Amino acid sequence: MGRYIARRLGQGLVVIFGVTIFVFVITRLIGDPVKFMLPLSATPEQREARRSAMGLNDSILTQFVRFLGDLLRLDLGESTYVRGHSALSVVFDYLPRTIQLVALGMLFAVVFSIPLGVLASRKPGGITDRVLTTLSLIGLSMPQFFLGFMLLIAFTVKLHWFETGPGPWTSNLVLPAVCLALPAIGRLSIVVRSSMIDEMNTQYVKVAKAKGMTQRRIMGVHALRNAGIPYVTLLGWELIRALAGYTVVVESVFNWPGLGFMAKTAIKNQDFYLIQAIVFVIAVIVVLLNIVIDIAYKVLDPRVDLQ
Amino acid sequence: MDVVSTLPRGNILQKRFRLLGSLLALSLVAVACSDSSKDTASTSGSSDGTAAPVKGADITIALGSEPTSLDPYIVDDGAERAINDNIYETLLSRDAGGTLQPGLATALPTQTDDTTWQFKLRDGVTFHDGSAFNADSVVASINRIVKLVADSATDNDGFYKTITGATKVDDLTVNITTAGADGVLPARMYWLKMIPTSAETTADLSDSLVGTGPYKFVSRTVGSDIKIEVNPEYWGDAPSITNVTYEFVAEGGTRLAGLKSGKYDLITNLPPQDVDQAPQSANVQGQEHPVLILDTDEGITADPNVRLALNMAVDKQAIIDQVYGGFAVADASQILSPSVLGFDADLSAVVYDAAKAKQMITDAGLDGKTIQLVGEAGRWLNDRELLEAIAGYWKAAGLNVQLDILEFGAYLDVLFDRTNRADAIFVSSSNDLLDPDRQLSTYYQAGGVGSSNTNEELSGLIDQGRQQLDPIERQATYEKAVKIAADGSYFVWLASNSDLYGLSTRMSWTPRVDSKLLVKEMSVTS
Repeated sequence: MGRYIARRLGQGLVVIFGVTIFVFVITRLIGDPVKFMLPLSATPEQREARRSAMGLNDSILTQFVRFLGDLLRLDLGESTYVRGHSALSVVFDYLPRTIQLVALGMLFAVVFSIPLGVLASRKPGGITDRVLTTLSLIGLSMPQFFLGFMLLIAFTVKLHWFETGPGPWTSNLVLPAVCLALPAIGRLSIVVRSSMIDEMNTQYVKVAKAKGMTQRRIMGVHALRNAGIPYVTLLGWELIRALAGYTVVVESVFNWPGLGFMAKTAIKNQDFYLIQAIVFVIAVIVVLLNIVIDIAYKVLDPRVDLQ
Repeated sequence: MDVVSTLPRGNILQKRFRLLGSLLALSLVAVACSDSSKDTASTSGSSDGTAAPVKGADITIALGSEPTSLDPYIVDDGAERAINDNIYETLLSRDAGGTLQPGLATALPTQTDDTTWQFKLRDGVTFHDGSAFNADSVVASINRIVKLVADSATDNDGFYKTITGATKVDDLTVNITTAGADGVLPARMYWLKMIPTSAETTADLSDSLVGTGPYKFVSRTVGSDIKIEVNPEYWGDAPSITNVTYEFVAEGGTRLAGLKSGKYDLITNLPPQDVDQAPQSANVQGQEHPVLILDTDEGITADPNVRLALNMAVDKQAIIDQVYGGFAVADASQILSPSVLGFDADLSAVVYDAAKAKQMITDAGLDGKTIQLVGEAGRWLNDRELLEAIAGYWKAAGLNVQLDILEFGAYLDVLFDRTNRADAIFVSSSNDLLDPDRQLSTYYQAGGVGSSNTNEELSGLIDQGRQQLDPIERQATYEKAVKIAADGSYFVWLASNSDLYGLSTRMSWTPRVDSKLLVKEMSVTS
């Protein structure tokens, strides 16, 4: 196990560096943060002076070598949008809120998708099944931007149940977490349902039924555990997709100032250093999450050979 | 694991459950969209004229972005100013109409020679840290900005690069010197915030905001809010509001939702189409001037008759009504607001005449020819709608319009390109100092960052206006300059959109033409 983890970490490092270098190249090729930093009326001389002061007029090679050296010392530069702060410190200022959002969102996703999927699978084709499957399809097909605003208007503006913006999780995080979770609940519950249906049709379940085991025990202890692997795969995907993508929309609509929100702002203002830092930190998290998910497989199914 | 094959077939039951699902989705939408009796629609200034302002109230203001820095010398950021305009003060201020007034200085400056301006300072003013405001503070402030400009470390070079230094004459008298005659200096001192001597060498003021203003900095939670509270030692009239919390809300819809739910007392940039939804709204004719910069030297726009026709083809009243919901005023063939020095009151907007415009285009032999209109979408209010409307008007005049709405970075490249100017470039020009120099140097003056003409006489007048020291002489010079551009139709002038604010029912405030959010001018009625 230890060697496995070490090897995966090594591969992860390659991925992280590769991704960060890729972002460096792309941002240098297409962007110019000075254009966005100074007011429109700034003269060309002022812009050139600022570029030189920031080292952006050096050759691409010089900049790249400097970048590599800084990267190895974990110095990702100073943000041009959040003046006077190192890009990494800005990322760490905003990361905790995104982690809170994704944690609560995934908690909702798991808590609701498993019972929904199991209920739906008990009598495939029955009334419960149809209602729950339809709800799942609605949840996963609604665009999150639209869903987010509808939730906001219904529950915050009209009913005053919740608030927007940063605040205690009970009043400010529930709605964004629900918005993040709904499409995931849709996808996950369908997987639970199909896995459970498949499991219930297997030989060993028939044998267990013949032995007189209750439906409840069969489903809860045996079938569910075996349905775990596809579920965990999808859950991992949902988790990573939420962290590295969906939070941008959800955080913007609900004004939850996390990393997704900051990523949108950084791109809008072509703040290279902040974009690099965000990509770097998210790449690290994604790599670590993937390793954790693979280990989870082993826990769920001891037969799995982690190679 | 074929999900589809395990779904039961069967028609009626399936349809019923699809219906149930759609009904559930629709009901969510219905709750969200329903018209609640709680929403009052009122577009007037004050909600209850008879209620007296309450002392000691707390308010919350929602800004469209978080300040990128809280150092007023380094950044040019509206969100930073919204907060710091209450913490710091300047030597001169402006009244409601935009006229320069005393501030921390007791009068407008006098001149000892062409490059030296003398200010008499107010006695008995202290900073939030207890230190005295005097000539030493002014010298420290000037020294700090001069150094930042020299190091290319500030975004505000354009405002202050003419200043060379300051010297103390006595405790309450200070001389500020400029490189060459600079008629804009008083306006610059309406903008430069005064800091204590201890702050002169501070690299970044963001962590130690100390000013003379009616409010003191309390706290900042990054990504969340900034809080300020009233300064009991303030030298001026005591403001009625005690605590202010600023929250940062980038999404316009979310800002409006917060206003309606009572969370916010004031929101900025209220879209005209949402005015009916705000509990109260307020507007003022500010400094925003969307214009099209026309290339006067080359291409299809080189002919002044064509440029005039391009102006004539646009129905400005329709734009005011449709694009800005009525909250705009047609620009009188100039980029300056009436509140800015140099505004020529004798000029007027080109009258809309679609038939004549079409005739002029045909007479110039350009029927069916292509004109390129470059713009962007998302930075300025309803810019996309505006550009599409203009393209429509020009098409009606017989031209083929190539409308290029570019990503902002690509758009800036076109705007700043000094070698090839596009036929028509859209921009919204505003004015911070309420002095004409910057707007005219940028867009009217040959070689300016965004200008598309090479008129030497116009350029000379703009230089002259900057260097003249008597406001009356400057007014005459700028009027000549503005008239040259108007007579030559160097631009397509459109309508200046008002600054629109959303207010809570209890908030009472009249917006300023310079768009400063001064809490000391606000009050609440409950």
